[in-house]
Amino acid sequence: MINVTESITHWELLEIEKPARYLGGEVNQATIKASPDLRVCLVFPDLYDLGMSNLAIKIFYEKLNAHPQIMAERAFSPWSDFEQLLRRKNLPLYSLETGTPLHEFDALLITLPYEMTFTNVLNLLDLGKIDLKWQTRKEGPIVIAGGPSASNPLPMARFMDAVLIGDGEEAILEICETLIRTKKANAERSDVRKELSKIEGMWVPEFTAPVKRRVFKGFAASTPPVKPLLPNVQTIHNRATLEIFRGCIQGCRFCNAGFYYRPKRERPVEDLVEYARQLLQNSGEESLGLLSLSTSDYSHLTELVNALDQQKLYPEQNVSIPSLRMNESTIELLDSTPHIRKGGLTFAPEAGTQRLRNVIKKNISEDDIISVMRATSGSDYRTVKLYFMMGLPFETDADIEGIVDLVRRLEDIGRTCRPRKQISISLSGFVPKPFTPFQWAAQADTAELRRKRLIVCRGLERSGSKVSWREEFLCLLESVLSRGDERVGELILKAWELGCRFDGWHEHFSRSKWEQAFTETGIDAAVYLRERRVEETLPWDFVNFQVPRAYLESEYAEAARAAEEVNNEPAG
Amino acid sequence: MNQPAEFKTRVNYSKTRQARYIAHLDTIDIICKALRRIHLSYAVTQGCHVRPKISFGPPLPLGHASYCEYFVITLLQQPDPEALKTALNRELPQGMEVLSVECPWIDKKSPAVGEQVEYRLHFSSQATADRARSWLLNPESAFQVVRKGETRKYTIGKAVQRADMAEADSGWQLQAEFIQGLADVPSVSKIVTALAEQLGESRDDFYLLERIALKEL
Repeated sequence: MINVTESITHWELLEIEKPARYLGGEVNQATIKASPDLRVCLVFPDLYDLGMSNLAIKIFYEKLNAHPQIMAERAFSPWSDFEQLLRRKNLPLYSLETGTPLHEFDALLITLPYEMTFTNVLNLLDLGKIDLKWQTRKEGPIVIAGGPSASNPLPMARFMDAVLIGDGEEAILEICETLIRTKKANAERSDVRKELSKIEGMWVPEFTAPVKRRVFKGFAASTPPVKPLLPNVQTIHNRATLEIFRGCIQGCRFCNAGFYYRPKRERPVEDLVEYARQLLQNSGEESLGLLSLSTSDYSHLTELVNALDQQKLYPEQNVSIPSLRMNESTIELLDSTPHIRKGGLTFAPEAGTQRLRNVIKKNISEDDIISVMRATSGSDYRTVKLYFMMGLPFETDADIEGIVDLVRRLEDIGRTCRPRKQISISLSGFVPKPFTPFQWAAQADTAELRRKRLIVCRGLERSGSKVSWREEFLCLLESVLSRGDERVGELILKAWELGCRFDGWHEHFSRSKWEQAFTETGIDAAVYLRERRVEETLPWDFVNFQVPRAYLESEYAEAARAAEEVNNEPAG
Repeated sequence: MNQPAEFKTRVNYSKTRQARYIAHLDTIDIICKALRRIHLSYAVTQGCHVRPKISFGPPLPLGHASYCEYFVITLLQQPDPEALKTALNRELPQGMEVLSVECPWIDKKSPAVGEQVEYRLHFSSQATADRARSWLLNPESAFQVVRKGETRKYTIGKAVQRADMAEADSGWQLQAEFIQGLADVPSVSKIVTALAEQLGESRDDFYLLERIALKEL
């Protein structure tokens, strides 16, 4: 068996930033099976430092390697320096466990966490010496994608033999068992794809049949990964992650994740406390992170946090809760438990006025926001970060000015707090995602987003708050990539050919190359950014998302009504 | 109130194979996590961010293998050195291994003013090893280091104390002794990087460097 790492010299590795990213050998790495029936590579199309924090990779790695006939290895996107080294030496991208070239695996299972990784996927396939398109791919691994950004599978369809839509826990084993069966039967690739298409949640571009989003109904009783790989390079989330529930009951109209992960499924407190013990025991991580959407919605959060707080395995252990809703009981909870990590508070009001928060169904009142800020007085929290979106449906300039007013009011309160609070604001253009009530809404163009951003920046010019924002063109691009049809695949391919990589990374993103890709492919972004009529057939309508279209329509209509109702209220 | 008994313990470990590419701060993180996983009872620092009372030896440059890395930790129970070594070795990534545990450990009273370090430099070609030896043993050998846009000139000077050639199973090796940490004396890391540049196209003949002993001066 070839081990590619043996072809890279010591001095070449030293020219690479953080070479440990590319060498494996971490604690809790799976034992290498001598002759498994199936060898798969779990691929994360971003840097090791991000991918090693990704929960899906942890779940699949543990689950698949527990299977006696399956060996699952890992590969991440190489940074530009390592890519250049591989290309210069004509070496294939390889797995971290055994240094096996990607093209030698039976299957690649690729997670698509966000649209800005799409060009990285093509780069990984190319570096792995795998034909990019399923139609011309005659040999090498079966390439399967899944994850939140695969929920509309069309933009990446030409590159994938199959796409899993929805939860992967059960499906991944069915996929692998199908691959084992077809491999033993020496089946043709087309027959393999046909067999895969019979699995619930699997969509195979070749057959274009309707598909139903897979829901893992046994989530609450399932065991999360409790023996995670421990990275040899510090990762973006340096903590042990415990998913306490999946799904969300809030129904925010802009949120794709809120619909993608439905329904809400909670793990019981006593199970979570035991999983936390095993997780900390097996990882030695200082911090335990409770993961979910809107963690405050966990039915027994106080009970859970208190139980975790009392179960101390080592002195420096603490709990971190990254996704909390803004209300006073949140602060009470945080203050009452001494071993919660108190770095900064992060909240997402999303919109600056109550009217617009009603429109987007963001269930936070102005009183909640103000009272949380007051409640932080005397607490250890020093920084408060607020996320806002611009370009939301039914938004007016008064809503944007509302962001400025709200931040100004919070600053006034922050000044009276001891220790004094530093407020930072993060602005992002809204992207109307498929399978949400706003899927028919128009994407605000870059000029409009920029104009609105300047209203906020100028309004807060002399304030003490820090304002950061997401480049407007990225929002537009994300919109095209998430709302696209099969033609968008051509755009992604062209952008990759022009050198686009790591589009989510400021230092790599090239607007000019993407604009060139639009021009050269003749793809008009406006086609994908426009407002759609509700009666129009949408490209992704063939996916049964298990959220009725009629419900999304009624929610969109409800948003319009909410916008009108408050607009008609007399001022003051 | 009685202070609990404390047991200063020195753990000596090696970093070889792929572990030599793990950076110093990541190594600290890996060791701290391993210590937590083996249920060791250790003293912690006071203050709002509790940390184990632990100190590490001088940072090992990235890419250097070493058989003389160490950390000193304050334990709250007398350790069984062999049991601690075995337990820790089950929890370290590939290429890291605890070699010995010393308890009690008494720190040197005065701070170190420099280090005497012994290295083995491995070569696949005798000619390249000869060239390397000549360059290292010449105090006048000069090189430049560019850091953050600033160029600084160095000469080997007294940094290389000796460099003895020996034939080994897989080629040739230079057993070299360096001093570092003194004013105007370039570090081993700078010297070997400059050496690799000097070797030009033959640099890949110089394929491994191992730190085998370190003495604080």
